[in-house]
Amino acid sequence: MTSMGTTGFEITVNIVKTLLVFLMMVQAVPILVWLERRGSAFIQNRFGPNRVGPLGLVQLLADAVKFLHKEDFVPDKANRFLFYAAPVFALIPASVAYMAIPMSVPLILGESKFLIQGFDINVGIVFILGISSLAAYTILMAGWGSGSKFSLMGAMRASAQIISYELALGLSIVGVIMTYGSFNLTEMINAQMGALSFSGFGYGTTIPWLPNWGIFYQPIGAIIFFAAAFAESNRLPFDLAEGEAELVAGFHTEYGGFKMLMFFIGEYGHMMIASGLLATFYFGGYLIPGITPDEVYQFGLGTFGSEAAAHIFNSVAHFLMYNVKFALFLWIFIHVRWTLPRFRYDQLMDLGWKTMLPWALGNTIVTSIVIFCAAYFKF
Amino acid sequence: MSVDAMLFWFLSIVVLGFGLSVILMTNPIYSALCLAMTMVGVSAVFVMLDAYFLAGVQLIVYAGAVMVLFVMVLMLFDLKHELQAFSRGKITGAIKIACVGILAGLVVGAVTIGKNLAVAKDTVESSAVAVDTTKVLSQNLFLKNIFGFEALGVLLLVIAVGTVALSRSKGGTHARD
Amino acid sequence: MPLGGVIFITLFIAVFGVILIYLARAIGGVAKRTSAAKMEIYECGIEEIEKKDTKVSVKFYLTAILFILFDIEIIFMYPWAVNFRDFIATGSGVAVFSSMMVFLAIFIYGLWWEIKSKALEWD
Repeated sequence: MTSMGTTGFEITVNIVKTLLVFLMMVQAVPILVWLERRGSAFIQNRFGPNRVGPLGLVQLLADAVKFLHKEDFVPDKANRFLFYAAPVFALIPASVAYMAIPMSVPLILGESKFLIQGFDINVGIVFILGISSLAAYTILMAGWGSGSKFSLMGAMRASAQIISYELALGLSIVGVIMTYGSFNLTEMINAQMGALSFSGFGYGTTIPWLPNWGIFYQPIGAIIFFAAAFAESNRLPFDLAEGEAELVAGFHTEYGGFKMLMFFIGEYGHMMIASGLLATFYFGGYLIPGITPDEVYQFGLGTFGSEAAAHIFNSVAHFLMYNVKFALFLWIFIHVRWTLPRFRYDQLMDLGWKTMLPWALGNTIVTSIVIFCAAYFKF
Repeated sequence: MSVDAMLFWFLSIVVLGFGLSVILMTNPIYSALCLAMTMVGVSAVFVMLDAYFLAGVQLIVYAGAVMVLFVMVLMLFDLKHELQAFSRGKITGAIKIACVGILAGLVVGAVTIGKNLAVAKDTVESSAVAVDTTKVLSQNLFLKNIFGFEALGVLLLVIAVGTVALSRSKGGTHARD
Repeated sequence: MPLGGVIFITLFIAVFGVILIYLARAIGGVAKRTSAAKMEIYECGIEEIEKKDTKVSVKFYLTAILFILFDIEIIFMYPWAVNFRDFIATGSGVAVFSSMMVFLAIFIYGLWWEIKSKALEWD
């Protein structure tokens, strides 16, 4: 608790900051929905929403108003408590886990140091994995609480799929942890600073035009992590939970209006966590390639002249860089959804258990052997 | 009252409250969900004890895996009989009251023992140094207790084999003819 | 670890969600019972059929139990992975490396057995 700040000012700022991160996440969802609809239209050679406002951007507001005006409906067969609790609970795991991802260098104002993230957690990865594994309850609560066969089957499929891919996801991270020797996300990002350099057999090579990103150390791990993240967030090649042709809409068949929207916030939240983690583990997080935060700070100091302005410039520049990477991965999520067809359920389970799990295992073993041999045989 | 103490009391009330509702709820699914919440609360208590990694394990394994299985299995049963048994049975009522009694006894015992522990903890804390608990854990696990660690791997393998064998036994939907 | 912050934001999000639902309920209004069919659960437009015991494939339980087992094994690899370089630096690298390799061999044997015994086969 003490790490929330020592003075009253720091504690206040930190609390406001966590609320801001949460609101930012909630705000990003309509934009992503708009992007998804426009993007799908672009891919399928349609127009998409383009009537309301410039580029159809006000469509999101119109949608929200429409959702608010929908009447509140609970089927007779449903369990009322779980039916209402599931959408509320859908918000929690995604938002709380996202707060542990660092989005920029700490902002230093005078004596105080503010992290540009919800909260800094020294076992960041374990925290994020643990919190987001609670998302299975949302699906089970919604599926059973609806009292409908389609919902229950969708929930069963979705939870079996999520837990199957959690194995590959968790195992692909072991290689990352071994490479950086830390659970802490900020330490991982700091380890990716500078230019890519390998050392072996007595001499080292530095490639000055490539950043020291994790993807060059863990390429297979990155691919497995990315693929498993799709399955975790129930996105299209793996959206067996709501295979429209078979299960109507999966676990949220009975939902409509605002409650449905809250499930969407949860789903897009999982996408955001996956994108943020992918950027953090394998693509240098908020770091700008080719330039260290210290150099950015010196540049800001030279341009603005005052230390406070330089610190703010430093944080803002890295925040923008993080968002560029973040948006790129989110776009890949959307692009893949409208490009690939859906798997069959047995193919999905085969891929998770018989392909991705062994590959992740092999990745872990190879990584550990390389680290071990590098230390003991001095090559 | 310090912030830590406030957090501790809040978490205690949450954990004990959910723990109580596990046995007081009439619907088995509510009981299972309350048990899951109890696990989450216990992991927060682990954080208060500076055992960060264990807190994560508690979340991932107990709340994220074991309880999901419980809830999944419960949701697939037709719970009408259980609901009746849970809400009307005199024996279950007596068991519930007995459980509450035992729990109250445990709480009283914990409080009385805790007073002595608090004194002991104060003396320890004065010489406390920041220890990396994850490191101590892995030293214990991979250097001191290697045999137990490997035996655990074999045990998990045996469980996996047993599970598959059980799922093949007669009466299951996928039983061999 | 800022436990207070985590608990605070969790409670805040829960309250936020409840307020949203109440807001939608207040603005949109509660569904009025205009017909019995309206309040039924979705069933492709036909009369709903209530089955007494839903039979679900045992594969779901099997997957869940196997997931728990493998998840525990993976969790054991985390403290090993994070301290691996420290162990090598302090000279106990060989013991730690070999102990984990034996564990992984059991893990791989288990996975191979599951695949071979067709326990992970979905039809």
